[in-house]
Amino acid sequence: MSVLCGYPGFRVLTGVLSVVLLLSCGAGCRRAPTDDGGKKVIRVWSHQGQEAENRAMRGIAKAFNQAHAERGLRVDLSFFPDFQYAEKLAIAAAARDLPDAFELDGPAVARLVDAGLLAQLDAYFDRAERDDFLPTIIAQGTVDGKLYALGAFDSAVVLYYDRDLLAKAGVKPSTDDEGWTWDEFVQACERLQAAGIEPLAMHMDDSADEWFTYAFSPVVWSGGGHLIASDAPRVRGVLASKENLRSLRAWQDVFTRKFAATDPVDPNPFGNGKVAMDWTGHWMARAHLEKKGDRLGAMRLPRMGEKPVAPCGSWCWGVSTQAGDPELAALWVRWVTDAKTGVEPLVRANGAVPARRSAFAAFPEYSENPYRLFREQLETTARPRPRTPFYATLTGRFAAALRDIARGADVEARLKQAEDEVQSVIDRRVGGGKIKREEKEAAEQEGRP
Amino acid sequence: MTVWQRARGRSAPWFLLPALALLAVFVVWPLLRAGWWSFTNADLLSPERSQGVGLANYADLAGDGRFRRAFGNTWLFALLVVPLQTVGAFFLALWVNRPEPAWRWLRAVFFVPVVVAMPVLAVLWTLLYQPAQGGEMGPVNAALAVFGVPPQAWLRDPTLALPAIAFMSIWQGVGLQMMVFLAGLQGVSKELLDAARIDGAGAWQRVWNVVIPAMRNTIIFVVTVTTILAFRIFVQPYLMTRGGPGNSTLSLIQSVYEMTFISQDLGRACAAAMAFLLLVGGLTWLQRRLLKEERE
Amino acid sequence: MKRNGTKFVTTDRPDGQELREKGGPLAGARGYGAWIVSMGVAVVFLSPLLWMLAASLREEASIFQGGWLGADGWTLQNYADAWRRAALGRALLNSALQVLVIGGGGLLVNAMAAYAFARLEFRGREWLFAAVVMLIVLPVEVLAVPMFFTVRDLGLTGGYGAAMAGLTVPFLAKAFNIYFLRQHFLTVPAALEEAAVMDGAGPWRLFWNVALPSIKPALATVVVLDLLTHWGDFLWPLMIATREETRTVQLSLANLFTQPPVQWGDILACAVLATLPVMLFFRWFQRYVVATDARAGIK
Repeated sequence: MSVLCGYPGFRVLTGVLSVVLLLSCGAGCRRAPTDDGGKKVIRVWSHQGQEAENRAMRGIAKAFNQAHAERGLRVDLSFFPDFQYAEKLAIAAAARDLPDAFELDGPAVARLVDAGLLAQLDAYFDRAERDDFLPTIIAQGTVDGKLYALGAFDSAVVLYYDRDLLAKAGVKPSTDDEGWTWDEFVQACERLQAAGIEPLAMHMDDSADEWFTYAFSPVVWSGGGHLIASDAPRVRGVLASKENLRSLRAWQDVFTRKFAATDPVDPNPFGNGKVAMDWTGHWMARAHLEKKGDRLGAMRLPRMGEKPVAPCGSWCWGVSTQAGDPELAALWVRWVTDAKTGVEPLVRANGAVPARRSAFAAFPEYSENPYRLFREQLETTARPRPRTPFYATLTGRFAAALRDIARGADVEARLKQAEDEVQSVIDRRVGGGKIKREEKEAAEQEGRP
Repeated sequence: MTVWQRARGRSAPWFLLPALALLAVFVVWPLLRAGWWSFTNADLLSPERSQGVGLANYADLAGDGRFRRAFGNTWLFALLVVPLQTVGAFFLALWVNRPEPAWRWLRAVFFVPVVVAMPVLAVLWTLLYQPAQGGEMGPVNAALAVFGVPPQAWLRDPTLALPAIAFMSIWQGVGLQMMVFLAGLQGVSKELLDAARIDGAGAWQRVWNVVIPAMRNTIIFVVTVTTILAFRIFVQPYLMTRGGPGNSTLSLIQSVYEMTFISQDLGRACAAAMAFLLLVGGLTWLQRRLLKEERE
Repeated sequence: MKRNGTKFVTTDRPDGQELREKGGPLAGARGYGAWIVSMGVAVVFLSPLLWMLAASLREEASIFQGGWLGADGWTLQNYADAWRRAALGRALLNSALQVLVIGGGGLLVNAMAAYAFARLEFRGREWLFAAVVMLIVLPVEVLAVPMFFTVRDLGLTGGYGAAMAGLTVPFLAKAFNIYFLRQHFLTVPAALEEAAVMDGAGPWRLFWNVALPSIKPALATVVVLDLLTHWGDFLWPLMIATREETRTVQLSLANLFTQPPVQWGDILACAVLATLPVMLFFRWFQRYVVATDARAGIK
């Protein structure tokens, strides 16, 4: 070594290397779960919503820190913008730098579970506590019978209507809790159109693809169809099934018959009094009530078959399997999904549907429509989006197909194309892998080709 | 090569090691790995557990509408930017080519946007392009209104969004190309220009017959660099339109980025990246060939 | 400052541009007319940036109203809000650290390699250099994804120190900079070094005391180019800086830009603050910016 050290270049090289080591040492030193003067820090990520919601989330974190000061515990809360949250999470997961606890979108749960990144929560919530959550929240966070994520709020989509405009066209809103059948819905649109009233807003302008899958999957489901097989990662023969062709052709008619615009310019035509009905979510309830007061009505989304189905799902919380101390991380998830410390302040800020039954007492508006209906359908008819590791691909392709179908594409050809696109991704991912082999073996046993 | 240079050659490895090691680790190795992954079904969250799929990723790309759209958009962007920016920069260089110290400021003016970071400009131009809303409108629409042009929804209109981004990009980058042309102009023989003048050639004839042929290499260089830069577009649409409306501004880089972090399909993303590299490499090679032909 | 016979065209170079003076191609456009037209063009060309500055000093309500110079609605509040909401103090510090490490560290690493290629004889020099030159045209953005995995495997993601290393170390060595500096080392007269050899100088002293000082303008150019490039980096920090404390100034700006409710005044103030440092630095380094020899990259 002494010979080498004589070389001037060696000094430089060691200099460079030591700078590199010095810089990267910071990482090792920081990874330890405790820093900040002996306090235990729980690293937590949240999506960045409206300012009011962020303020509420900061307030919740502050309250947590105050309540746990004696234990020397502190959450370190980071926000990332809504639109790039999913990719940030993916980057962190790939970088093996996930925070201890984090918020994630409901349909993303299965993917992270599949990759072994979400820890089970069953141990941290007892039976009674789990029963206090809405069934949709439990379903959204459950994969293969095990609980991985819980949210503080859920979502709802209903058919809002303007009583005066419907009356003008002689249309009677559905009187029972079931909402309209699809035929009744189409008849209502016809009458409104005949009376010179634009029938419906479907918000096809939404640049976010997720709206399409979220808001219109109920059309497929209530018609008896599915997006993906429930027993295996398979969309072939499922996405373009007979049922789905029938349902989505009927759905396409809404646009070809000009009941709703395919490329609307006005983001809120219902609020502005231009259309009679609005196919949209809970987030418009406050604004619509303010605008219309008693004229506002709400019913379930129209159903293709016998039973109505409602969409659901929202942001929820999970604990990373890489967490320094999962128990502490779960402590935060308990805090932020607790009726008093988490659900109440968040729902007050963002107007979503409380995820816990015990929290509804604090929100008197839930005794009346449209809020009563939000809760009612989450308790009874709502269905979470497919819990599959391939959800990101599935929703992207399905939404693109829906957009084209609304604009007049051939339903069968377009769904077949989406089917092929999704299936090719699935086959490639599991190609020759475990799942495919098992499937093949099962098929052989049953004597199928 | 002198004696001492040979004698000191023994220390060369120490001079080379830091840079070559860094290049090997951070450029060559990732390149090889991307090439390898492009033939597998590698998954973002567990790339170690991948299996070979042959050319399936490349075949899928060809049938992937979104990727094809990104490919087309990027070409369109390059076809808008490269000619306009090159021609613009050339004439700007002629215009600012004034030796008097009193004119120095003019060159600096056109260089200013080059110095400003692209994310800053992307944010700024999003605001400038704001459509008319409730009696307010963005400055671009306000300025055009003076000439009686009705307000446009620049970044929200699928036909206008990409040209609007191209215009902003040209404005940003034209100063850099101008500087290169300015440097090239110094190499144009004064004797030739004088001779042309004596022969009665007008200003445009001198530009066309003397300046442009003399600057052929510079022009090819500028076209090459501008092409490579244009194909690398990412920040502007990512921040200004998120690739929309209706995928009309989705760039190749953004589609690779999305395949990686949203679909999390690392194998396909690497195939897209390799296809992209081949494209840029091919273009560069083509343009270098043109340059070589000129030299012979 | 020694120029050593290299062809530098700087932004304020006073000599040599005689195309116009002695009947250049556009010789007619001279005098006051040209001056006025140029002023007009310059104002229009820079109007987006001037507007950015003016609007950043106005209250939210008056940004879209009253043109540029309305009498009221002026405020510095946007700057205070932007500073707080975007955590700009930390972000500016991170960005400064990033460009300083890349600019300084990269300069040393690349100059050493360039010197070896220009001045030291060793086996395989030619093909090794050719290999380096081939790397010049690789677009970094496309390699970002596989690079990300390499950086991850080296542990350069996550905490503050690791992420700052991840932001900088991969960009220390640059094929173009090596190429560019080699071309300049080639122009250093061998006689200078031979004199030093007589005094018993080793290769390191030749490099450090003789060769490096002879190409200071080229070194400055490399630093300026690196600084401009990396101050504006977006894609790479987006992937590497996964924590709030590691955000660079461009990420902070993008974050403010996408955070509802959109406050244009704050965003513009943040944009101005993200631009000022690099503007000032550039003004200071301007005289070294070389355009001519950037061409060397392809030939």
